[in-house]
Amino acid sequence: MVPVKGSEPAEPRQAEALATFGRYAGPATLILSSLADGAKHGYALTKDVEAFSGVRLAPGTLYEALSRLESQGFIEALESQDRRRPYRLTAAGATALRAHLDDQRRVADVGLRRLARSWGT
Amino acid sequence: MISEPAAPGGEADSAARRAARLLRWYPAAWRARYGDEFTELLIAEFAERPWSWRRAADVARGGALARLTRAGLCGSPPGSAEQVRAGLATAACSAGAFLAIGIAMWAQLTIGWEWEPPRNAATTVGMTSMTAAVLLLAVLALLAVVPVGWSAARAVRDRRARHLLAPALLAVAGAAVLAAGSHHFENGWPGTGAHAWAQQGLVPGGVAAFCWAATLSISSYWAHPAALAAFPAAEIAWMTVSPAALIAGVAGVAGLVRRLDLSPRVLRFQARLAGSAAAVMAVFLAGAFCWVAAAGSGRGLVHPGAIDTVGLVVMTAALTVARRAVRRAARSAPG
Repeated sequence: MVPVKGSEPAEPRQAEALATFGRYAGPATLILSSLADGAKHGYALTKDVEAFSGVRLAPGTLYEALSRLESQGFIEALESQDRRRPYRLTAAGATALRAHLDDQRRVADVGLRRLARSWGT
Repeated sequence: MISEPAAPGGEADSAARRAARLLRWYPAAWRARYGDEFTELLIAEFAERPWSWRRAADVARGGALARLTRAGLCGSPPGSAEQVRAGLATAACSAGAFLAIGIAMWAQLTIGWEWEPPRNAATTVGMTSMTAAVLLLAVLALLAVVPVGWSAARAVRDRRARHLLAPALLAVAGAAVLAAGSHHFENGWPGTGAHAWAQQGLVPGGVAAFCWAATLSISSYWAHPAALAAFPAAEIAWMTVSPAALIAGVAGVAGLVRRLDLSPRVLRFQARLAGSAAAVMAVFLAGAFCWVAAAGSGRGLVHPGAIDTVGLVVMTAALTVARRAVRRAARSAPG
């Protein structure tokens, strides 16, 4: 994509924020997407992510991603309920998720367009 | 909210015990923050899928990562004073391991030089590089200790030093035991401590003998129990006490660095010093490699043995860890 002055993504730093998570960018995107419709604790997050993506986040992976997201200020912990602590998306997290998903959508759009042109699918 | 599957009473106890066992993979600070909720998640997972090697491996990997993150070696992008302190503490521990082996090697070489000069130029260059590196590291250590000591003294003056007491005691006790014991045993090797600076050798004999005694435990005699048994009992006792004193001293210093509230300027200064120390350690290691490569097949007092080859491997690993910790600390340093 050739960058055109004035048409670049509004917040490139936010778009890159999740990319700095390395191998945890995938789990981080799934977690933020799950929290986009409301606060959830660990087990509820696991089940919700599994329901909409088919990916079962293992406990160690889930909490590694949660602690990184929390330290970056993308999510925040709420008051504990019976030893289970719900997490909520922050404004910074919502911005980062939107920028990241926009990037992914651009890639998906290009891929689908080229597939349709060359393969007719 | 999605409710968690519940286990019957006896099974719930068993699940809680299993969760507690898995939780031990994580460091104490992580357990204090996430332990309760993580345990609840594990118990719910057990109820749904009782056994899973993949899950156990994932928790073990997560715990190891949490420990490395706590040590300032990986994890979230660097950026906080806490991460600078963690990186500096890890660098101090790595430098401690590096120097314990390196000084043992260097002290034997310098003592050997008192008896017989190196037989080739490469060994001379190697030993001279190692000696210069030791001198520079001593200067850097002094420069690092001054601001830490100053900050600790200010914390004591302002009555904010309660949390520093345990690591400070550990550091002072370890250093005191190591210094007193090394001084006591420093003349146990024939030929040491007897010549003046201008005579044969790179450093005063007393310095070489002190360093040799401090690292007496780094010895291939552990692999030859019959030969070791012929040593005086006091010397064998010192070979077991001195590593404990060294570990206590290094752990105390690392604990102080982690707990001291150092100013951003001091943190930047310490990160630069640590970077310089890592570079000097690389010079020392290059000198040691030079000596082993040049004198590998030779005989005489300064020929390397299998323990030196193992030492080089451990020192390389320690330097690699130190460099990574220092790089992350430098990137996190404020300003």
